[in-house]
Amino acid sequence: MKKYLNKNYALLGKTPPKDERFTKVARALFFNPIGHYILFGVLCYVVAYLATNKIIPDLIPYSLQSSLAISFSFAIASIGFCLLMGYSGLASLGTGGFIGIGSYSVHYVMYQAELPLPVAIVAALLVAALIGVVVGFISLRIEGIYLVILTLGLSEILRNVYMVVEDKIKVKNFELFGTLIKKQHSLYIVATLLVVVMIITHNIINSPTGRAMLAMKNSTAAAQAMGISLIKYRLLAFVICTMYAALSGVMIMITIRSIQASNASGYYALITSLNILAAVIIGGFKSIWGAVFGSFVMYGMQTAILQDIPFFAENPEFITFISGALVIIVVMFFPGGLAQLILELKAKVKVWYKKIKEGIYGKDLG
Amino acid sequence: MAYFLSTLFGSIIPMCVTALVTMAITLIFKTSFTTNFAQGVISAFGAYVVSSVMTSNGLSIWLALPAGMLVSMLIAIVIDVGIFRRGRYVNALGKQIITMGLISIVVGATPLVFGIVNPGFTPFVKGLISFDLADGNVSFPKNSLVCMAMTIVVIGAIFVLLRYSKWGLSVRATASNEYVAGMMGINTHVVTAVSWGLAGAIGALAATINASSGNTVNIYFMTNYQVFAFLAGILGGFSTFHGPVIAALMIPLANNLVQYAVNVMGRPDLTGWSMVFVYGIALVIIFFKPQGIFGKKIAKKV
Repeated sequence: MKKYLNKNYALLGKTPPKDERFTKVARALFFNPIGHYILFGVLCYVVAYLATNKIIPDLIPYSLQSSLAISFSFAIASIGFCLLMGYSGLASLGTGGFIGIGSYSVHYVMYQAELPLPVAIVAALLVAALIGVVVGFISLRIEGIYLVILTLGLSEILRNVYMVVEDKIKVKNFELFGTLIKKQHSLYIVATLLVVVMIITHNIINSPTGRAMLAMKNSTAAAQAMGISLIKYRLLAFVICTMYAALSGVMIMITIRSIQASNASGYYALITSLNILAAVIIGGFKSIWGAVFGSFVMYGMQTAILQDIPFFAENPEFITFISGALVIIVVMFFPGGLAQLILELKAKVKVWYKKIKEGIYGKDLG
Repeated sequence: MAYFLSTLFGSIIPMCVTALVTMAITLIFKTSFTTNFAQGVISAFGAYVVSSVMTSNGLSIWLALPAGMLVSMLIAIVIDVGIFRRGRYVNALGKQIITMGLISIVVGATPLVFGIVNPGFTPFVKGLISFDLADGNVSFPKNSLVCMAMTIVVIGAIFVLLRYSKWGLSVRATASNEYVAGMMGINTHVVTAVSWGLAGAIGALAATINASSGNTVNIYFMTNYQVFAFLAGILGGFSTFHGPVIAALMIPLANNLVQYAVNVMGRPDLTGWSMVFVYGIALVIIFFKPQGIFGKKIAKKV
């Protein structure tokens, strides 16, 4: 195929476009969104290796792997939320409760029943899908801010159930495919699953399903007129979002290892749902990369970057203060989030580049 | 009977706190069209002010309370004037995110202002009321009755103002349609700012009432009541003012009554499930009456 194309270009007397000058593998990795996700996963592996073995502790400190693992765990839930809010136009504040599904299935399957991790993941996904269907049915009747509060209520129910059933949950070191997974190795698993989730989500977004969801977001009446079944896609959106949240709960559990449900600022409370919402808004709510980056801003930045700055290390309260201010600034002045900001910057750089070129070579050659 | 009465008297404080918080949230929801997630922490900040005024100046809680209410009121007005007035074209979800950003700001600012302290509180009135019935003794703190009186006065005053004053009329007009209200010569900026200020002050009162009854105080201690308030808002229907407040009285009462029933039936191990039960019932009601128990059905225009 490549040869044929090149021959054609030769016949026409043109140089082939940039991306066809590279080999197939390089093209798959560098000029393909899915390749970017895989590269990202490889990068995470390298960082995890360097951090856990303390090879360059000045540049990549040991603590970096835990802060990355936490923020990427939440990134899975954020991507699900991105699909729900950015593509289906539904909002929910139940993420905190849904995350708990994953954590509790880890506790029961891995700690109490001593079964391997994949069983816990499957159990979490099944329960989450069930709850997603319930919320999806509710969303057919109730919309907007009412749905938000209703899911908040549902999440509080789940949190109360967690508190009554088992307040403190934990998990020990476990074996996966013959290797012992300790706390510091969690970034490998989290990164792998994050990449899988990113690829699946990318495919959903760029498939008829994703387009149907977008149509539903823009106008439910028009979408129905085009033959899109509201019940199918609302259920699907909620099921995917809940399943991702549960998966994220599994990852959080194997990263943190012990969680208390009754903590008012804990992982299953309202504050987590709000943080995920903020992460998606900061990142730009239609972008997978934005969701990942937003989660890093909300959960990883404090321990990964800001703590090394002496001022913030002495006054950790300022970090909370500034992250709040950042959220408000992004919402008020950059409604598309950081993803849009980067796109705008890219366009501007292109214009400047063109202008510089014109300045050097003259207008005709530019 | 004695146990039942104790349960009822024990529900006074949670009912007062939830009703006040719901009043505040409803006021903001009706005038700014957003759910204020920061209500809980702003209220808690007010309680911190009350505590620090009490300990640093040796004042009684009665004199410190207005200071806390004033500070919360000012914070809320600053939020409205400084952020919400400028962000008029931010969509509904964006407004909610702004209030959640405010949570982080207040949570970060509290230790900066007050240092890391455990705020101490005294009840408004010390002492117990205790009387004997045929089947046992009923006793509850006098403080509960004082708090109940304050709540009734405050909420009653707000309802009277809403119903009969010019300010109330302008609030109701703004709630029904902000733009038309503006065209009719109502200064909607002032209406929203006053509503926010009032909500802040009520929140501080609620937090102080909650703290004076001996509950532990931290910056998140009002969050649970805030969740109650949101649920009460849609359970009662945000389209009226009285609906949410009545629902707010019902939720903590129902919770305590379920606990009472469970204990009477001899299954005290089930008390932890009472909240799950109450939330479940509330959600089922909302599912079948999405506009709320007292809400009016609003026709949707296509």
